[in-house]
Amino acid sequence: MTSPAAGIRADRLTKRYGGRAVVDDLSFTAEPGVITGFLGPNGAGKSTTMRMLFGLTRPTAGTITVGGRGIAGLDDPARTVGALLDARAVHPHRTAAQHLLAYAQAAGLDRRRVDQVLDTVGLRDAADRRAGEFSLGMLQRLGIATALLGDPGVLVLDEPLNGLDPEGIRWIRTLMRDLAREGRTILFSSHLMSEMELTADSLVVIGQGRLIAEATLDEFVRANTTQAVSVRAQSPAELARALQGAGVAFTAQPDSSFLVTGADSATVGTIAAAEGIALDELARVRESLEDVFLRLTHDITEYEGLAA
Amino acid sequence: MSVLRSEWTKLRSVRSTWIAAVSAVGSCVALSVLGASDLLGTAPSGIPAGWDPTAESLKGFLFAQLIIGMLGALSITPEYGTGMIGASLVFVPSRSRLLAAKATVVAAFGLVVGLATSVLSFAVVQLMLTGADLPAAGPGDPGVARALIGGTLYLTLVALLGLALGTLVRSATSSLALLVGALLLVPALGPGLPGFLGDWFGRFWPTTAGQAAYAVVPVDGMVGPGAGLLILIAAAVAVSIASHATFRVRDL
Repeated sequence: MTSPAAGIRADRLTKRYGGRAVVDDLSFTAEPGVITGFLGPNGAGKSTTMRMLFGLTRPTAGTITVGGRGIAGLDDPARTVGALLDARAVHPHRTAAQHLLAYAQAAGLDRRRVDQVLDTVGLRDAADRRAGEFSLGMLQRLGIATALLGDPGVLVLDEPLNGLDPEGIRWIRTLMRDLAREGRTILFSSHLMSEMELTADSLVVIGQGRLIAEATLDEFVRANTTQAVSVRAQSPAELARALQGAGVAFTAQPDSSFLVTGADSATVGTIAAAEGIALDELARVRESLEDVFLRLTHDITEYEGLAA
Repeated sequence: MSVLRSEWTKLRSVRSTWIAAVSAVGSCVALSVLGASDLLGTAPSGIPAGWDPTAESLKGFLFAQLIIGMLGALSITPEYGTGMIGASLVFVPSRSRLLAAKATVVAAFGLVVGLATSVLSFAVVQLMLTGADLPAAGPGDPGVARALIGGTLYLTLVALLGLALGTLVRSATSSLALLVGALLLVPALGPGLPGFLGDWFGRFWPTTAGQAAYAVVPVDGMVGPGAGLLILIAAAVAVSIASHATFRVRDL
């Protein structure tokens, strides 16, 4: 990293096209050393927000800044903030190395950075192949390489996991972890909750351009998922009596287990033990984050009917 | 300097640049030879007075200028087509700097291709005329060097015009349509308009006026070489200013 990482801050950011707000009074922060997941359904305004950070699209109102400055106010933008905005944005006739060289030169970077980032993303052997022959996975790697060229402290990645195979997804997760551990600010977007679950430390969830939630992943899970406990006893009738006696709400499941929503697994275990009931199974069940995400964005997802 | 280097890397690393450069030179030579071959077999006495062997040898500009205009347009339109313009502006947030670098590289490349086109076409056709015992122009003849420089500048300005139009319309196909209109259709059809309009198009339409820059013998009803070049420069500057203004404020 050539300069200490700064945070990203959106402050009442708004973008309207005609009368339609694509981004609507959106405020959030992404901090150094943290992987911030920027989550929302397709069309929620994620890409527009990221493009406003780079001055590609002008906000109708509000600001989005890096270290308190707009992109135009940065002394050395390429060494401060890197971007993957669209992995397909390559000239098909240019080789990977030429593509990177053009950007390295534009920012006045040492041309050795080209080989270094190609090594980092595992494209060394494809350096002299035309980008038009690349798979989407390779293009994503080339896009990451472009973002890393200036060794910036802030990385903004739009759907970086899109089109990657499981090995590629694991690779980029590890890479983002390593980059965050070095103290960099990482903001990456996705429309899939499952991609966030294993990658993001912090979440910014938006729908229809508006903020739905901003929290650490743990907080988000705790605040939005309903805890439940699945319990099965050798004699369900005894267990049912015991739970009723303890005033714990439960519902009987088809497989003769009970789904307890009023108490955690320790409480249920204690109740059973006190009555001397042998348990076959006692497990915490959590609503999947995907379900939570869909529930949260349900009301405001504009094109829900079309997207399905 | 760094942005210039970057733009040069972009230009030289795509095949279409070199195909266009070679086609511009090649098509100009071929068309000019074809045009002049009409005269082979004519007795020197049959050549009309005021015949301009230099202008004759640059007739292939008619087509070559389109290719050179597209060279300029293609320095920006693929960035829109692919979306690369976004990343280009991440590395060079100043839109004016990016566009100025593109214009400089296009001008330099246009100058070289324009010079090659002019000089080669001139040389080949003069050799052919000499071989046919027809009056040919030599590089040292009065006005010839000026005309070759004028032709080079004409093609360079057309390349810049192509860049400006490409920046405005953001698509190669639309750029080509505009260039065909500005370079071929309007000069051909404009003078046919009635009265004052026809006169104006025949004399002052920028690319028509600019063609005076590479004539040695003044053509009746045309502006002088200096004035013609200035009109074309003014037009190229005006379109460039408009494209720059648009490029600066437009959302990508």
